[in-house]
Amino acid sequence: MPPKKKVLIMIFAGITVLLTGVLTGQQPATATGPYTAAQANAGRAAYQTNCAGCHGGDLGGRNDASQLAGSLFMGSWGGRTTSDLVGFMQGAMPPGNAGGLGEATYLNIAAFILDSNGARPGTQPLTAAAPVGIRSIATGQLRAQAAPGGRGGCGGAATDDRPIPLGGRADPPVPPTPRGLTVAGQVKNYVPVTDAMMRNPDPNDWLMLRHDYRANNYSTLNQITAQNVKDLQLRWVWAMNEGTNQPAPLVHGGVMFVNNPGNIVQALDAKTGELIWENRIGQSATGSSQRGIAIYDDKVYITTSEAHIYALDARTGKNVWDTVIGDRGDGAYSTSSGPIIVKGKLIQGLGGSLCDQYRDEKCFISAWDAQTGKLLWKFYTVAKEGEPGGDSWGKLPSLFRAGGDTWITGSVDPELNLTYWGVAQSKPWMRASRQSGNGATLYANSTVALDIDTGKLAWYYSHAPGESLDLDEVFERVLVDDNGQKLVFSAGKAGILWKNDRKTGKYLGHKETVFQNVYDSFDPQTGEPHYRNDIVEQQVGQWIQSCPTSEGGHNWHAMSYHPGTNELIIPVSQSCQEMNAQKIDLVQGGGSAGGAARRFYESPGSNGNVGKLAAYDVRTLKELWKLEQHAPFMTSIVSTAGGVAFVGDMDRVFRAIDVKTGKVLWETRLGTSVQGFPLTFSIAGKQYVAVSTGLGGGSPRNVPSILDPDVHYPSYGNALYVFALPDRK
Amino acid sequence: MDRALACALIFTWGLTMTLKRYAAIAAIALSLAAQTRETFKARLSAVPADIRTRADLAGSGSVTAVLDGAKLAITGSFEGLRTAATTANLHSSVAAGVRGPAIADLSLPKATSGMIAGSIELTPPQITSLHHGGLYIEIHNEKSPDGVLWGWLLR
Repeated sequence: MPPKKKVLIMIFAGITVLLTGVLTGQQPATATGPYTAAQANAGRAAYQTNCAGCHGGDLGGRNDASQLAGSLFMGSWGGRTTSDLVGFMQGAMPPGNAGGLGEATYLNIAAFILDSNGARPGTQPLTAAAPVGIRSIATGQLRAQAAPGGRGGCGGAATDDRPIPLGGRADPPVPPTPRGLTVAGQVKNYVPVTDAMMRNPDPNDWLMLRHDYRANNYSTLNQITAQNVKDLQLRWVWAMNEGTNQPAPLVHGGVMFVNNPGNIVQALDAKTGELIWENRIGQSATGSSQRGIAIYDDKVYITTSEAHIYALDARTGKNVWDTVIGDRGDGAYSTSSGPIIVKGKLIQGLGGSLCDQYRDEKCFISAWDAQTGKLLWKFYTVAKEGEPGGDSWGKLPSLFRAGGDTWITGSVDPELNLTYWGVAQSKPWMRASRQSGNGATLYANSTVALDIDTGKLAWYYSHAPGESLDLDEVFERVLVDDNGQKLVFSAGKAGILWKNDRKTGKYLGHKETVFQNVYDSFDPQTGEPHYRNDIVEQQVGQWIQSCPTSEGGHNWHAMSYHPGTNELIIPVSQSCQEMNAQKIDLVQGGGSAGGAARRFYESPGSNGNVGKLAAYDVRTLKELWKLEQHAPFMTSIVSTAGGVAFVGDMDRVFRAIDVKTGKVLWETRLGTSVQGFPLTFSIAGKQYVAVSTGLGGGSPRNVPSILDPDVHYPSYGNALYVFALPDRK
Repeated sequence: MDRALACALIFTWGLTMTLKRYAAIAAIALSLAAQTRETFKARLSAVPADIRTRADLAGSGSVTAVLDGAKLAITGSFEGLRTAATTANLHSSVAAGVRGPAIADLSLPKATSGMIAGSIELTPPQITSLHHGGLYIEIHNEKSPDGVLWGWLLR
């Protein structure tokens, strides 16, 4: 992604850093903004080019990229000045190219952000040298959209210099290319995907994110072995659209389905890379590639950053149905990972500013009829007063309980009829900001096991009760059967590998995969961690250090279970941070997606090695081997019956690893950082390995960039690479 | 052999044996002392940074600390600072990776690179802290008076 395309993720890692946190947002703007309409219009275009990929075309924020318009923005920035805002952007944005846009562009983007928060343009241009209190000109209240085709509307430019209200919150940009089915084609001999196929996938296919319901990221294909992997050759490359790219393509019957940034869905001949059909879904050309799409029966399912679900005809790419998740009247939901489908039910997680706001409806996991798009059930991830688990939030009124995003797709045990999801942290991040006492804030940072048919909670396990450091436990749940036990493994940002009984949730053990100083002990019976006392006692405005960081420990780069060695191969990161909790007022509609300043430093004893790949014995949790390096690993792990595991890193290296020893067997260097979900599949008896390069993302990319700025990669180059062994002569 | 000579021989033999004993005891003591010497190392890297401050926190270094009894002798080097170093301190904290108060000053040149050294008698709690990774070294410079490089002493 070019610098100009990189999004302003750190605005909100950093914005939250600079929070002063008083939420008013209720006072009407009484003054005209210290910027011109021309600046705001230019800023709109610059924003869409440079920022929208992470922060969203609607300024609603995505994951680590915080909201830029609305009450959460005002909570973070209302007490600061326009000069602070411009200065922060110049110093931090875009990640990897801070200051690279030129002062005029930063001023224009700042003008656009102010305008989107209810400020009104004036006759004096915005300058960095003349600070104006943001709350004195902006409210965070979003103004009505300009009429279609009107001046200053969506993507439009003013036709004169008159001070024209620009329509408040940013509308989706005018698409640079047509939307809809842009390339027509037909997948020949398509075979509908059945429940039986989902439960026992054909080894030649890769039918879902992380390969199977158990999230094992393991393939029984064994043509590529530890002995011959050195002979791998590139077969084809497919350039992908620019934007945040962490894709997880699927393969069925020799056809690859892939979702590009910008909501561009494509079907490709997986053997040759030939395009079969393309659908540019929705109205927005922004948005990440989403971590995973789904296939079931005769449809492919894609979610968008605006939390829409689209069902496309797998043969033709044509729209079958689409729906939107949640009530969207007062903000934005989002998704960054796709669904998982079982028994005809599409189960989907959720995130976005509406999960983080102080409002009545809480964040939820939902299930939808895969054939019709009809809502089937919801499970709310935040316990209200009077509900089971409601007392875990102390005396905090229900209105002010927030967070509990589910931004990583869950896993499924069809036999137990349960789906397993990790729930992210409560919001704001830190206890002192949250005012929730030392309770667990259920179901944040828990594994929840839900009945597939009803969504009812079967059991939960709180991995990090009362978490306070943005160390959420939201990531993949890996299902393994061992020694007569049905197990579920997970690892969160704290880097603790958890082992639980997946029938009951009972704690069975844990392993610290990286150096951590957050917990000073664990209850040997329940596994409940005990926080360092200074973390428990932290006050607003006080810096607290912790290892690891929001980067993880573990993050979205999913682990693999290799049954041949009975080991879990896990990518983790080694870094430390210090955080400063901000005051967040308890005001309806307020809240914060973060609410803390953050700074990062090297983990003691790591020797500067941020990246770590290690294998752990399922039965004993003993570390079997490890591979450490400066660059972080940026892909999930795929292991195979050939004794090989594949992984990519930020330094552009894609590697094959010996699952028994961790020894590097083969490596190649790609165009830019290797990021996404590798997969392997087979066509006509030949095994292929595919991996994406990608840019964008939050802490897993930004923290290492601070710790080791000497790891360089091009800021463009999203692509899909496919490898295979040479053809036999 | 007269009585005097015999007494002299006996005295000499006794003295020799005594000296040998003392030498043996001294050797054992020295050996034990050597065995109680513990070596710790620290890699000096940037203090907590964000994307705006990272460039000012350039530099690197390494330190070796030898604990002999209660005495901790520190030697090391640093390089690559953007501005001249001003002070360096040994700190004690509750755990590796956590800030804590300074407990001793270290010497270093007012330069962007050079040697760092110091010696301190640790208290029993400080020795315990050292064994748990709780001691760290921090260097300050003109641009970053609150600290530019730090590193924890680990075995």
